[in-house]
Amino acid sequence: MLKIENLHATVADKPILKGLSLSVNAGEIHAIMGPNGAGKSTLGYVLGGREGYEVTQGSVSFDGKDLLEMEADERAAAGLFLGFQYPVEIPGVSNVQFLRTALNAQRRARGEAELSAGDFLRLARAQGDALGVSMDMLKRPVNVGFSGGEKKRNEMVQVGIIQPRLAVLDETDSGLDIDALRVVADGINRIMRAPDKAVLLITHYQRLLDLVVPDFVHVLAGGRIVRSGGPELAHELEREGYAEIAA
Amino acid sequence: MTLLDLPSNRDEAWRWSDLSALPEIAARAPAGVVPEALPWIDCAEGPRLLFVDGCLDESRSDLGPVAIGPVEVDPEGHALARLAGRVGWSLRLGRDHAPSGPVQIVHLSTGGADHLAGEIVLDEDAQASIVESFVGEGWSNRLTRIRLARSARLMLARRVMASVGFVSFTDRATVGEGASLVATVLAAGGADTRIDGSILLTGEGAYAEAGGALLARGRQRHDANYVVRHEAPQGTSRQLWRSVADDRAICSVAARVEVARGAQKTDGEQSLKGLLLSRSAQVNAKPELEIFADDVKCAHGATVGELNRDALFYMASRGVPREEARALLTTAFVADAIERVGEEAVREAMHADAEAWFAKTPLPLGEREGPAAEGGGRVRA
Ligand SMILES: Nc1ncnc2c1ncn2[C@@H]1O[C@H](COP(=O)(O)OP(=O)(O)OP(=O)(O)O)[C@@H](O)[C@H]1O
Ligand SMILES: [Mg+2]
Repeated sequence: MLKIENLHATVADKPILKGLSLSVNAGEIHAIMGPNGAGKSTLGYVLGGREGYEVTQGSVSFDGKDLLEMEADERAAAGLFLGFQYPVEIPGVSNVQFLRTALNAQRRARGEAELSAGDFLRLARAQGDALGVSMDMLKRPVNVGFSGGEKKRNEMVQVGIIQPRLAVLDETDSGLDIDALRVVADGINRIMRAPDKAVLLITHYQRLLDLVVPDFVHVLAGGRIVRSGGPELAHELEREGYAEIAA
Repeated sequence: MTLLDLPSNRDEAWRWSDLSALPEIAARAPAGVVPEALPWIDCAEGPRLLFVDGCLDESRSDLGPVAIGPVEVDPEGHALARLAGRVGWSLRLGRDHAPSGPVQIVHLSTGGADHLAGEIVLDEDAQASIVESFVGEGWSNRLTRIRLARSARLMLARRVMASVGFVSFTDRATVGEGASLVATVLAAGGADTRIDGSILLTGEGAYAEAGGALLARGRQRHDANYVVRHEAPQGTSRQLWRSVADDRAICSVAARVEVARGAQKTDGEQSLKGLLLSRSAQVNAKPELEIFADDVKCAHGATVGELNRDALFYMASRGVPREEARALLTTAFVADAIERVGEEAVREAMHADAEAWFAKTPLPLGEREGPAAEGGGRVRA
């Protein structure tokens, strides 16, 4: 589904990704771990198509198409979702309005019929309920005044509404209390664990990986994948830290 | 044609205005044709007035309590106000009176220049909502005198939807004890505007709001100059302006609060915000305070910025195309100003006007980008 080959990328002329390769097949969940500043969020932004993140070498294909050729909104319509480490606040635009605009734009781009206001509200309410995000919150401006944990739960509500094929979730577990972590983990398993879907889970914590058991674990350090393994690699990292492994 | 005596840019109050097109517009002959569709708002039945090139179209109007004739206005030294003359419409409401629904006034200009005065005089506890919509293509120039007696309430909304040309209006208002005036402008057409106003809060506990949203693209110019003067204690005033400039357009807002000696416990707030949608656009914001009382609370803020890039990327990452994201964020930016309008049907119509403006196909990118040095925001304190 996703094939990243020898990816090099710079931010403000500073090389951050330095030859990163990774393949993700449909039905798989991959965890990416790594020290602060390793380039994990940068990878997410490059995949998402953020301005200012310049690819200098390498390729990324998504369902056989050149991802890097597409605009950010086209990537979303193609089925890519980027969960933000720091979700953005948008004063004056409600979650409902934002997500309905987003979902319908995606559906238009794929040649599907748009959802009516009523159908959309039913969908939003159901997905919000599953993640403990009330309709009142969904009617408030996007992420404005939301606590850190509420913002992350809200990202998962968006995954539920948009139903992407590949979700790149950047520290969606950070800032969650113990109960919320379980709710979000259940959300990932419920929505994204399917034969035609895949997840790239960026995280620092084993506790998420106990709840969403990955098929593969990768260590990203210095802009490259320096080690890959199964779920046991996360336990090893937890015991020994990155110093040994990333060296 | 009479010779136009117009102010020059050398005058501080007119430095951002461009009146150079007015003599040429004034020389044109109006076509006088009234289109089928006029911007009436679907709301509770109230008086309706249609002015075509400054003349009442009686067949399409329903005056109710509104009269036509000489108007008690004092245009002072203001050049455009003087041109408006002393004849026009007049709404005088006695104690406790209110029209059956919002008073709707449509000003249609079919080509040349038209000038008209108006007055709104509300006696104690009288109430009115008035919405004026400007459409067409010439130059419409208005002077409105407003007098609110004790506890009277006036909601005054202006929709400037004229496709080309020029719209200018000047307000002269006094607000008495416990009375309330909320004046809101939305400029969402293709015409240039010049908006002038002064509000005197003459009674204790008077309330006044003046503000609006100015949307400009191409080489359009909007220019608003408003003064609120507190002359009595415990008055409250709010001036909230939102300017959006795209392409090579320029929006300028000068908003002033004056607090006279003795106007203690005044609460005055100004919020002037500008949004630049292109590098070659310009927004000028000039908040001014002049305070001669010691126990007052006055706050002002002025900012000019661009659309938030993080928000644009966040929206794009959810599949919202760039133009749609820009429109959503820009609509949100002006929403505060339109929210001030109390009459729901009018408010909804104004939100729709703004959305229609944003939905218009933008110019191709090549025309949009200009040298960075030319544009920019300016905040003058
Ligand atoms: N705009 C920028 N200008 C310069 N350097 C940047 C910029 N953005 C990111 N960087 C640098 O890129 C490097 C990688 O950052 P990134 O956010 O991808 O790290 P990360 O692996 O996600 O870290 P964390 O675990 O702390 O979230 C860091 O050294 C960071 O300082
Ligand atoms: Mg990060």
